[in-house]
Amino acid sequence: MGSVATFRLTQINASDPSDRDLIVRTLGGDGGAFGILVDRFQRKIYRVAYAIVRDEVEADTVTQDTFVQAFTHLAKFQGRSEFETWLTRIAINRSRDTLRRRRFVRLFSSDDENREGWVEPVDDRPDPEREIMAHQLRAAIERAEHKLSAQQKVIFRLRHYESRSLEDIAELLGLRGGTVRAHLFRAIHKIRKELAEWVTAREGLPR
Amino acid sequence: MKHYSEADLLETYYMQPDEATPIIAHVNDCVECQNRYRRLAQKLRDMAACPADKPATFWTRQRLMIMRAVDNAREQSQRAVRVGRVAAAAMLAFILGGAVVYKSVEPSLKAPAVVVSQQTAAPATSTDDLQVPRDPWQSDELKDFGTVVQWESWVPDSSKESSL
Repeated sequence: MGSVATFRLTQINASDPSDRDLIVRTLGGDGGAFGILVDRFQRKIYRVAYAIVRDEVEADTVTQDTFVQAFTHLAKFQGRSEFETWLTRIAINRSRDTLRRRRFVRLFSSDDENREGWVEPVDDRPDPEREIMAHQLRAAIERAEHKLSAQQKVIFRLRHYESRSLEDIAELLGLRGGTVRAHLFRAIHKIRKELAEWVTAREGLPR
Repeated sequence: MKHYSEADLLETYYMQPDEATPIIAHVNDCVECQNRYRRLAQKLRDMAACPADKPATFWTRQRLMIMRAVDNAREQSQRAVRVGRVAAAAMLAFILGGAVVYKSVEPSLKAPAVVVSQQTAAPATSTDDLQVPRDPWQSDELKDFGTVVQWESWVPDSSKESSL
């Protein structure tokens, strides 16, 4: 039974064209091949974009722009990294642009302070204390995020929402591991500051 | 025994495990901190939940939008290539046509060039003549003094001496 399942899985994987094959076919003018690539990676790219921009509509736009940009520059893809990594880098850059644009727009609209909103996660567990804690934690992280630099924000969000390893983040952003670690440490320090007040008060721990 | 707050444990959650060894060691031994860490991790995971579980229509629509944009981009690049080719062909035709026209008109262009050179050379010659006359006696400047010159040349040598 197990061997049949393994065989089937192998068979399906083997029949799937590799990313490189699809890229070659796309460069040869096969539009359908690029459609397969889109289908393969659009969810992952959307997740990354959403993790950074925290807005569904903007994440959708970033995803679309990412694939169009990837198609336009596909001939420049040299295959030194995985196609997925290359796509993710494009998505991160586009998301950064979105954050930058948003910051620029915010300069001219003071009432848009909470624009970078959070989509409330569905938590249907009937535990009021837990709900309050989750809310406070969320609020603390949100407050702290406003104080983060663009670089810190991207790094923190990739770590927090995407659970990316520090090495992975460093590779995606083209930074050294130590730099990423330092940025993340500063970001966490700011969040800790926001959290410290209510945690200490609630749990009666010495400061 | 010192217990760690959620704020302390936050660092453990985000940083690499090897960078928070003392805290992890404590958490492994302390049930209270262990529970606190689990609660925190659960909360953070809940917060990180991404609404990526979209209906299939969302992904289909997104894919269609992408493919449409890609088609437009491809069409634009093809159009740019086509325009470039036409421009190159036009340039080539212009250059070749120009060369053919130049070749056909070339003989007639050469003759006026010679005339022009002669015309320009003529004043130069006359200027030279003015500056250095070939026969000083035939020059225009001495015409008015021709009689005097002739008289002086007909005076006999004796009269010259008596006058002296």
